[in-house]
Amino acid sequence: MEKDFLESRLNINRRRFLSRLSLGIGSAALGSLLIPDLFSGKGEEAEADFIAGIPNFAPKAKRVIYLFQDGAPSQLESFDYKPKLREMMGQELPPSVRGNQILTGMTAKQASFPLVGSFYDFKQYGESRAWISDLFPHIGKIADDICIIRSMNTDAINHDPALTFFQTGAQQGNRPSMGSWVSYGLGSENKNLPAFTVLLSKGKGNGQGVYSKLWSNGFLDSIHQGVQFSSGEDPILYLNDPEGLNRHERRKMLDNLAALNDINYKEFGDPEINTKIQQYEMAYRMQTAVPEIMDVSKESDDIVKMYGPECLIPGTYAANCLLARKLSENGVRFVQLYHQGWDQHNNLPQEMAGQAKDVDQASAALVTDLKQRGLLDETLVIWGGEFGRTNYSQGKLDAANYGRDHHPRCFSVWMAGGGIKPGMVYGESDEFGYNIVKDPVHVHDFHATILNQLGIDHTKLTFKSQGRRYRLTDVAGNVVKGIIT
Amino acid sequence: MKSSHKGFADGALFALNVFILVLLLAGNSLVVPQWLQPAGRLHPLVLHFPIVILMLAMLMEFFRFRPEFVDEKLYQSFTNYLLVLGALFASVTVIMGLLLSREAGYEGSNLQWHKWFGVGVAFVGYGVYLIRNRERYTATIAKTGAIVTIFCLIMAGHFGGNITHGDDFVFGPIMDKDKKQVPINEALVYRDVIAPIFEAKCQSCHNADKTKGGLKLTDEESILKGGKKGKLFVVGNPQISLLLQRIHLPEAEKKHMPPIGKPQLTDEEKLLLYFWVKNNADFKKKVIDLPATDSLRIIASSFLKPAESTEETYDFSAASESDIKKLNNNYRVVYPLAAESPALAVNIYNKSTFNVKALEELSPISKQVVSLDLNKMPVKDADLKAVAKLENLRRLVLNFSDVTGKGLKELGGLKNLRSLSLAGVKLTPADIKQLSAIKSLTELAVWDTGLKPADFHSLQAGNKQLKVLTGFKDDGKPVKLTNPELKNKAVIFSESYPLQLTNPIKGVDIRYTTDNSAPDSARSLLYKRGTVLTQSTVIKARAYKQGWIGSDTVQFNVYKCRYTPDSVLFITRPDDKYKGDGAKTIIDKELGGTSFGNGKWLASQKDLEMMMWFNKPIEMHFLELNTMRNIGSQIFLAAAIEVWGGPDKDHLKLLSTLKTATPHKDDPFGLVPLTCKLKAAQTVSCLKIVAKPLKTVPDWHPAKGKPGWVFMDEVFIN
Repeated sequence: MEKDFLESRLNINRRRFLSRLSLGIGSAALGSLLIPDLFSGKGEEAEADFIAGIPNFAPKAKRVIYLFQDGAPSQLESFDYKPKLREMMGQELPPSVRGNQILTGMTAKQASFPLVGSFYDFKQYGESRAWISDLFPHIGKIADDICIIRSMNTDAINHDPALTFFQTGAQQGNRPSMGSWVSYGLGSENKNLPAFTVLLSKGKGNGQGVYSKLWSNGFLDSIHQGVQFSSGEDPILYLNDPEGLNRHERRKMLDNLAALNDINYKEFGDPEINTKIQQYEMAYRMQTAVPEIMDVSKESDDIVKMYGPECLIPGTYAANCLLARKLSENGVRFVQLYHQGWDQHNNLPQEMAGQAKDVDQASAALVTDLKQRGLLDETLVIWGGEFGRTNYSQGKLDAANYGRDHHPRCFSVWMAGGGIKPGMVYGESDEFGYNIVKDPVHVHDFHATILNQLGIDHTKLTFKSQGRRYRLTDVAGNVVKGIIT
Repeated sequence: MKSSHKGFADGALFALNVFILVLLLAGNSLVVPQWLQPAGRLHPLVLHFPIVILMLAMLMEFFRFRPEFVDEKLYQSFTNYLLVLGALFASVTVIMGLLLSREAGYEGSNLQWHKWFGVGVAFVGYGVYLIRNRERYTATIAKTGAIVTIFCLIMAGHFGGNITHGDDFVFGPIMDKDKKQVPINEALVYRDVIAPIFEAKCQSCHNADKTKGGLKLTDEESILKGGKKGKLFVVGNPQISLLLQRIHLPEAEKKHMPPIGKPQLTDEEKLLLYFWVKNNADFKKKVIDLPATDSLRIIASSFLKPAESTEETYDFSAASESDIKKLNNNYRVVYPLAAESPALAVNIYNKSTFNVKALEELSPISKQVVSLDLNKMPVKDADLKAVAKLENLRRLVLNFSDVTGKGLKELGGLKNLRSLSLAGVKLTPADIKQLSAIKSLTELAVWDTGLKPADFHSLQAGNKQLKVLTGFKDDGKPVKLTNPELKNKAVIFSESYPLQLTNPIKGVDIRYTTDNSAPDSARSLLYKRGTVLTQSTVIKARAYKQGWIGSDTVQFNVYKCRYTPDSVLFITRPDDKYKGDGAKTIIDKELGGTSFGNGKWLASQKDLEMMMWFNKPIEMHFLELNTMRNIGSQIFLAAAIEVWGGPDKDHLKLLSTLKTATPHKDDPFGLVPLTCKLKAAQTVSCLKIVAKPLKTVPDWHPAKGKPGWVFMDEVFIN
């Protein structure tokens, strides 16, 4: 190393310096002609626009809990009330409504597209008088705390790309997850826990898998990867010390390892080495922090009644909601839940009832629980799937049994807290629940809005990888100002 | 120079200067004939000559008396030529300029300054020329004259530039143009949306100095007045408004505005002007007063700063970086609220390491902390003294801390506190009165404090903006309990089994039976810790709790297996699909569960024979074989089981035979232990078990005639 520095110094003498300088100035001039911003100082600024770990402006929300309903719940049996579909039960979907929408292979060859109304009735709730289906009575009770967006739309029509799009802002699956972006953008609030955690649960309905690429850090530093908490004795794999190793020994081992790593760092200067040391240290602190969080035995009866007794059974959606509250309360920036089993291609009325029963009470309880702790203001809760479902039946239409295929053009999600207007319904679909007629919200807009609530300008949260700066919102996205307080 | 030329030049110079004087004195009363206008318009061309020539001449004049130049003939006469030429050009230029200024559209202070400096150049230049060869003309006078002329030249040039190109033309690009973006909720339609368009694209020709077409676009009055061609717009009717007509004319059209070569309006700007006129060209309206669907508002909101980011501005200065860094540790996070914000947020974690020092150490940043999160920390009342010093605190979380009502009075001094979370802190109605001192409070979270909404009425009466969050209230409807769970890891034991039944809900009674009867809340055994089983048992259990609905009944089977064979071998092999982990599957103390395809079951459609050895002879009373029945999947109980035993494999005797009843259509799915009892206890070292499947499936089954499957996962020897 030292020798190289010396050689490099010897290589420069006055003559060489001057001849190089002239070349340098010449190319700088040329460069400034080719890249207009080169000397305007703007380039530098753009780089400095974003400092990792600090929001661009004061955030409304400090944390996010994303209740992902994996498989795509039907908007027509949940939050988008379409009485017209009941009136027109069994009639053909007018081609003018369908337009040029491409269908999936599952229904594209279907001879007829009979419209089907919701098997379940709807009621109006709260001061906002929002229509919510009878499958979600508990969410109905918090209607005045949530903002239902009925005009979500996405680009993808199949589960994997759509899910990946929602989670990473791109369909291909090599980008960092939203949680990783947030971890990168805001840093950790609690150094004893990962900034991005993932919790999985599964309903009895027809399901689609989830896989770790959805919470991958992509090209971001590996410290931003989502950490999966599983039910059972080892909530985080490989976190516990092996049997027979006491904490004191572990400490000694880590210290020595850190010393070795430090020598390596001094020699090669690779920042990943420091990351590694930090991660070991965090894991060490997690060994005490995690058991405390996973322990639900101190939760009061009121809490159990709120979330439903299932919340004490590890691995259920209700338990994950309770855990999400505890993690969030302890400064975890992004808690990502996935509840699988929402892919109702057939047998929808029955399966959806089961799925709704899994999530209704606990989702509502989470919002109420955060609110009563004074934390809802700074925690953004999101509930929704990767796309919607068709207004026509997949397969044979029966009065009490039908299915719905994938529908990317229009579906519903809801958000609560974190500076989102409570008690409002945003956007509108046509009377067939097929197309958006007012205030569409694209997935990119959705991402831009979430980042905005976290104090991040989505156009400034960038990371340069392989010669290109990437954003969660790629080159699109507008903050949905209508739903922001 | 020939004297005739010189004389002509002198004469012309004199005449021109007199003409200038006349023009200046005649002032406004002078009318420029049309044929002379082109001469005036040549002013911007000609003016470059005097600048260069006079500049050079004055430079030479300045150094004229230097000893090395005094006797230089060429130097002296060349300076003279230059001077007379420069003075001539200057006079001509001034005259042209004065003619041009008479045309419409030139006025304002830039013009006045330009005019007088220009005239100054002409006169001073002429003066220097006149006196430069006099006796009393000294070096000082020469230098003064030169400096004054050059100064006038520069100033005239500067103000002239301002007239043609607008103010700050030269330094505009590098001056800080980043005007503060206006948040949408403060923006006025005219001031922040329309006026910037006029400023950028119109005012270079329609300003106070230069009112082309008699139009000035700098203020409300002049805009309403319009120009020579009349009013700019008909309010509410953009189609017939002159302003919109001019900007929408094809570019080639002479009347198109802005003229060719000037920066053009963008489509968005044209739209904004259109909508502004359509919306009655209001000068006072706020952007947010327009309906949310208004096109103008939508376009405007795309470039105005969003309202939500109207950040609170803090009047304190930022804390030192090194202080912040020092205060950050594994259990205390101090971070800025946002980039360039002096405000800090502090979160403290880990109960076991918390002490009051964690708060006291914040004194170097006591001004800057606006948010403090002490969720679940064992904060004592006395510790709140340290919190009270954080004078700018906006938000304080004390959920489930050790604070009591008494401590709250410490918080009275927090004059900026807006949000206070006290969930889980035990309070009395009297405690809450102490909070009335905090007038700034807007949100108070008091779930699980033991207080009722009514307890806050007086507090809310004194502070109308206060929102009290009392949270969930049990509606008294009973909720169904979750099922009891078996906590033991194993269900197979050799001697005794310490039964561990649990339920995650606190205060639950678990009732159970061991005789296959349904448990109830009165007669069944109440589970107590320390219950020990010594035999294979079927436990049926249910959870009960006052005010809750009892759980479902759940069943747990536990199996006793006194002796485990030391080795085991197949004599006939099981089916390849269901061979488990080999013969040891039958003695691995792991049950196969309810799914037959999970690789934990051994199965065959032929006789399945196994041999087992014990290192030490055992005294056997009976043997149980755990099997599966799943008639739908063609899995039946073994038709017969034979148990052979003896001291070694060559001396086995048939010890027991079990025959099962003929299967019935309605036999339920089940995991069935088949017990082979020995007539009398037998000492054996070697055992052979033969499981015979059902020979032919009965006629009522779809697979009638074929042999049944026999499935087994474990053997229990007692």
